[in-house]
Amino acid sequence: MAKKKARAEDDTKAELNMSSMMDACFLLIIFFVVNASQITVAKDPCVKMPNAVTCSEMKEAKGCVVVNVFPDVEKMDERTATKFGESYAPGTVWSVSDGAKTIGYQAQQTQDLTDFITKQIEMWKAKNIDPNMIRLYVRGDQNAPWERSATVIRCAAAAGLSNVVFGTLPAR
Amino acid sequence: MARRKQREAEPEEEPQMNMSSMMDACFLLLIYFIVATSLVSEKRLSVSLPGNSTGSGTPPPLEPGRIKVEASGAIYWNGDMPMGGAINPGLDPRSPEYREERELGELVEALKNLAEAAKAADTNPIVMVEGAPATPHQRIVDVMAALSEAGISTVGLNTAAQE
Repeated sequence: MAKKKARAEDDTKAELNMSSMMDACFLLIIFFVVNASQITVAKDPCVKMPNAVTCSEMKEAKGCVVVNVFPDVEKMDERTATKFGESYAPGTVWSVSDGAKTIGYQAQQTQDLTDFITKQIEMWKAKNIDPNMIRLYVRGDQNAPWERSATVIRCAAAAGLSNVVFGTLPAR
Repeated sequence: MARRKQREAEPEEEPQMNMSSMMDACFLLLIYFIVATSLVSEKRLSVSLPGNSTGSGTPPPLEPGRIKVEASGAIYWNGDMPMGGAINPGLDPRSPEYREERELGELVEALKNLAEAAKAADTNPIVMVEGAPATPHQRIVDVMAALSEAGISTVGLNTAAQE
């Protein structure tokens, strides 16, 4: 009789209740999904970001008109220069993302850049974004000449955009 | 006898779902998003251009501060007051030596004084930044960081004539 009982005990498998762990997992996933989508702006890997000691968090990417500003190819490292050469036509100084495609502009295409910024402003307004929240996001390379960044700001001002955000990385 | 015993035992078994593969997928998603969010570490320095923010055509009650940035990285406050030296072009902007060279403590103090004067005059401080065309973008960002530290956000940005 006792032998039978002992055998029955051996048959029961040790089980772990995973449901609460799954709940925690899903909550974490939701948190990271929401967080990631909030602060993502179109990034160009060819831009080496400048750094600043006093800079604040990028809380919201909505309303950002992102323009990448490139330096001369000679000032890029070899790897970046190769990547840049594969992605853009020679003489490209600015790039923007229009949906899935990336458009490069040359120094003389200021009117095209202004038109693009105007189009982006209209797009954000159509999405009911507060006009004060629409801002130019200058992703300038640390070695890019100031003239190029200033031209972007002038183009944005011509399109009616007066809020400018300089993209930086925190200085360590 | 044996058949009856077997039939009795069957209803006791609970239906179970194997969750291990779902957990694997969950953890992979979790790792992806943790890594993706930690990679997005870009910060911002915000400024607003003075032309549109003031709105009226009347001149500001307080004279705007003027910062001139030369192509070498040298910075001058209100004309000819040196606030930061030229930057060695061979230095990597991320190196500690470069960070030492680009310290703008004096400029921050001058900007804080301007901000206090503007507060006393009950107006918004305005600063005009004039950079030489060939100035590296990093040096202008240094100036913007100094402005941000002093709490000044209305900034006029201009390009100086070619040197």
